[in-house]
Amino acid sequence: MMLVRRDADDIREIRPRAALGALIVVCTMLVLVVRLYQLQILRGDVYVVQSIANFRKSLFVPADRGVIKDSKGRTLVDNRPSFDVFLTPAFCKGKERDEVIEKLQDYLHLGQDDVERIKSDYQKSWFSKDKLERFKPYLVMLDIPRDQVDVLEAHKTEMSCVNLIPTPHRSYHAPTSFGHVLGYMSEVTPEEMDDHPEYRRGQTIGRRGLERRWEKELRGADGKQNIAVDAKGRELDKDTQEALIPENERLVPATPGNNLVLSVDEKLQRAADLAFPGRAGAVVAMEAKTGFILAMVSRPSFDSNKMSGRISRAELKAISEDPLKPMLNRVMNENYHPGSTFKTIISFAGLESSAITPGSTVFCGGGYTMGNHRWRCDKPEGHGSLDLKHALSRSCDVYYYTVGDRVGLDAIAEMARRFGYGQPTGLDLGREIPGIVPDSTTITPESGSARAHAINAGIGQGEINVTPLQQAVAYAAVANGGDIVLPQIVRRIEAPDGKVIREFQPQVLRKLGLKESSLTAVRGALRAVVNEPGGTAYRSRLQDIEFAGKTGTAQVMKLGQKQKLDPTTQAYFSRDHAWFAAFAPADDPEIVVVVLNEHGGWGAEAAAPAAAKIVSAYFKMKREETAPPPVPALPPPPPLATSSMVQ
Amino acid sequence: MSLGVTEKKLDNLHWPLVLCTLIICSLGVWNLASATKNAPVIMALVQFRWMLVGGLFIALLLLADYRWLQTAAWPGYVAAIGLLAGVAFAGKKVLGARRWLQVGSMQVQPSEFVKLAVIIVLARWFARDETGLRKGHYGILDLLRPFAFILLPVALVMKQPDLGTALVTFAIAMTMVMFAKVKWRDVAIMFVGGAGAAVFAWSRFLKDYQKQRLLTFLNPEAYAKGAGYHAIQSVIAVGSGQWSGKGWGEGTQNQLAFLPEQHTDFIFSVWAEEHGFLGGVVLIALYAFLVLAALDVAANARDKFGSFLSLGIAALFFWHAVINMGMVTGLLPVVGVPLPLFSYGGSSVVADMLGIGILLNVSLRRFMF
Repeated sequence: MMLVRRDADDIREIRPRAALGALIVVCTMLVLVVRLYQLQILRGDVYVVQSIANFRKSLFVPADRGVIKDSKGRTLVDNRPSFDVFLTPAFCKGKERDEVIEKLQDYLHLGQDDVERIKSDYQKSWFSKDKLERFKPYLVMLDIPRDQVDVLEAHKTEMSCVNLIPTPHRSYHAPTSFGHVLGYMSEVTPEEMDDHPEYRRGQTIGRRGLERRWEKELRGADGKQNIAVDAKGRELDKDTQEALIPENERLVPATPGNNLVLSVDEKLQRAADLAFPGRAGAVVAMEAKTGFILAMVSRPSFDSNKMSGRISRAELKAISEDPLKPMLNRVMNENYHPGSTFKTIISFAGLESSAITPGSTVFCGGGYTMGNHRWRCDKPEGHGSLDLKHALSRSCDVYYYTVGDRVGLDAIAEMARRFGYGQPTGLDLGREIPGIVPDSTTITPESGSARAHAINAGIGQGEINVTPLQQAVAYAAVANGGDIVLPQIVRRIEAPDGKVIREFQPQVLRKLGLKESSLTAVRGALRAVVNEPGGTAYRSRLQDIEFAGKTGTAQVMKLGQKQKLDPTTQAYFSRDHAWFAAFAPADDPEIVVVVLNEHGGWGAEAAAPAAAKIVSAYFKMKREETAPPPVPALPPPPPLATSSMVQ
Repeated sequence: MSLGVTEKKLDNLHWPLVLCTLIICSLGVWNLASATKNAPVIMALVQFRWMLVGGLFIALLLLADYRWLQTAAWPGYVAAIGLLAGVAFAGKKVLGARRWLQVGSMQVQPSEFVKLAVIIVLARWFARDETGLRKGHYGILDLLRPFAFILLPVALVMKQPDLGTALVTFAIAMTMVMFAKVKWRDVAIMFVGGAGAAVFAWSRFLKDYQKQRLLTFLNPEAYAKGAGYHAIQSVIAVGSGQWSGKGWGEGTQNQLAFLPEQHTDFIFSVWAEEHGFLGGVVLIALYAFLVLAALDVAANARDKFGSFLSLGIAALFFWHAVINMGMVTGLLPVVGVPLPLFSYGGSSVVADMLGIGILLNVSLRRFMF
């Protein structure tokens, strides 16, 4: 059959172009194949990682922080389950963001400043140079109450960018007086996170006290749970997750932190806090031979629960503006003139340098004169002729002006330093100030001659400044026969299962090497302070326990200025500090108690009775504990099992 | 014209083309089933139904000689333009663009059929116009009329806005022009002139924000979630398929919805993620075969009309496949162009099937008057 084509010519014309077209088609398709090869074969593994990163979300499993117990195993701090609210900026933007924040404001009853903070944190995260920052949840609200948890749970689906994270929070069972010992927790700052990348945003870190000092031991290590989510960040069903994430990568369990066992006895701490009468001041009770601290009160204190939780700016401002400075740990971070408590040290300076003997006497006529300056005695009519025992127990100033003048400023400074003044005691609880011990190299001519300084130092005035903790260490040395001990507050660190990881042993830093006769004379005099008529603390003596000690009334205003003033009308801040440093029992001391009542007035009135009560409480507790049959102590509550994460 | 389809005629059917189409359709439905596994409607079945409808149209088309399309060309073109105008006024707005017409319970996307109408009208014009014969070639000025046919629907599609379909329609028409008696010199002049004018206008007269606005206007989806998100997720999907893919229904990018529009524009990413390089090459080969078969039909057609029809269909499949696959593999910017017989969509499936029907018809009647 013959074919006649009308368009035969044209079609013939088309053929070479069609062939060229075919070539172009093949080449183009080959380009696509090469592209696939490049993406899937050459770079395939990179994209596999990226595709996994898309659906894989790592949730952290918070570690249980170690608990802190007192020496008898009572739990002072543990953890309780609670919920924090987090927001992930990447999952709500634009209008949705505003709606979500409005809802949060409604459900959580947020104040305007909270809303501002949430918005500004959102902006910060959103405009961060690091694009991944917006995928990191940030803390919206800490530790919300149970009813708000229920409300948020009920509205969960409306706010897919909001997460309720169960986080164990610190629960301080100990009384507020433990504030400075335990410290508190607060959110890590970005700067801290730079140094410690193991911290996540919104996590807390120990502040002050033991929480801060033992952060590393208490913290433990957070675990990780890997979950699979879809493009909207919703968690997938269990089967799909198990298919997507290998079992060994699903959960890295958290390692709980270690526990601290303190030397502090909660009951004694309560007794000390109760006994302390002042508005401000400090109490230290310490084992005289070992240096382990049994009670440590710094008043005013702060509420660790409050500080660790939701505290408003106004409350923080009130604390920082409080003239009594609640955040100041007076035990080791504030110093005071020791007043007459320092006469114990002056006695040793006199005895050791043979400027005096226990039996030698000094006549007190009510004052001491050097050149045209006269130093008054506390008793204006004078004590008459006094030996060491009577001078110390009656706290005669003229006797000690005389001794100070005889031994000189540098000998006083040397003895003070031997007793541990002028340097930190070494208590491992954070910052500690050294106090001031003046000598001929530190004083300025304008402040008076070295002799005048020595006379002032004789009664613990002038430039000398000591911390209550230094007093405890110094009096412990008097009590224990001359050992300068290292004050310690942690007895041991235990693993969560109770295994002892580290036991702290008592440490004697140095021996004073005092003459036995000096020790006997001073201790006898200190016993007389409390137990013999005429002693300044005679009214505070105890029936059952013979204890020793020294009163002190540290003048805040210049000598001579104040004596004309009526103590009751003095403005609070110009009133004297009341001191009492005690040890008990007097013959074989176990415990040292130092009481500083800031602006409390007379040591004999405002400090000695408190010290007596604490001593009494200590021995009462001791008798109860050794008395048969022992009352079984309640077992400590089990640590909270809150390491599981529920989204 | 006889209605009897004889044994002889069935032998003349382009069986390789039929087979290739069947394979692509089957893989398409299978792949769509994975892409829409989590969707409430069984979209793969809907797609399959549209393929059956398309098959029925192919059977009906085969009954008559394709030459009647010359008669139907202008009415069809006018109808298509009418539908586009209808979209502009009464269209359904989705993602900031008006592309669909509500017909009863169905949504029709007229721009899919406009491509066919333009192909048919251009084929008719090149088949009938004598200028080429008289002068021996077409000059640029001779092409002004066909340009007018092309630009009217392209402008209407652009206005929807649907940059992808407008570009593809234009590309198809220009491809057909290339196959007419146009001197290569004139092709070069048109190409350089057009590109030069566009680049000049772009760089000289538009400010950055205007460019951004224009880009967003022409291509709203790409900018809806932040530029680049689609492209990045698609490339991750494709790349993570590696040699043999993650397996049907196992692609995390697809199943967990990291891949946007996974059942329409990004259907190839689903395929490449779940079936890997090997699956990807197979599919590319199938499309290459389809286009080559269409070129073969064009080269062996009985008349100029059939030849140009087939060239147009070849261009339709070629540009759709290349632009779509180039876009999802990150070679080309993201413009919404479906992958023929793979992307979900009734209008596009039916239009593609009609195209296959035209090819089969031209091929079937290559020996007849």
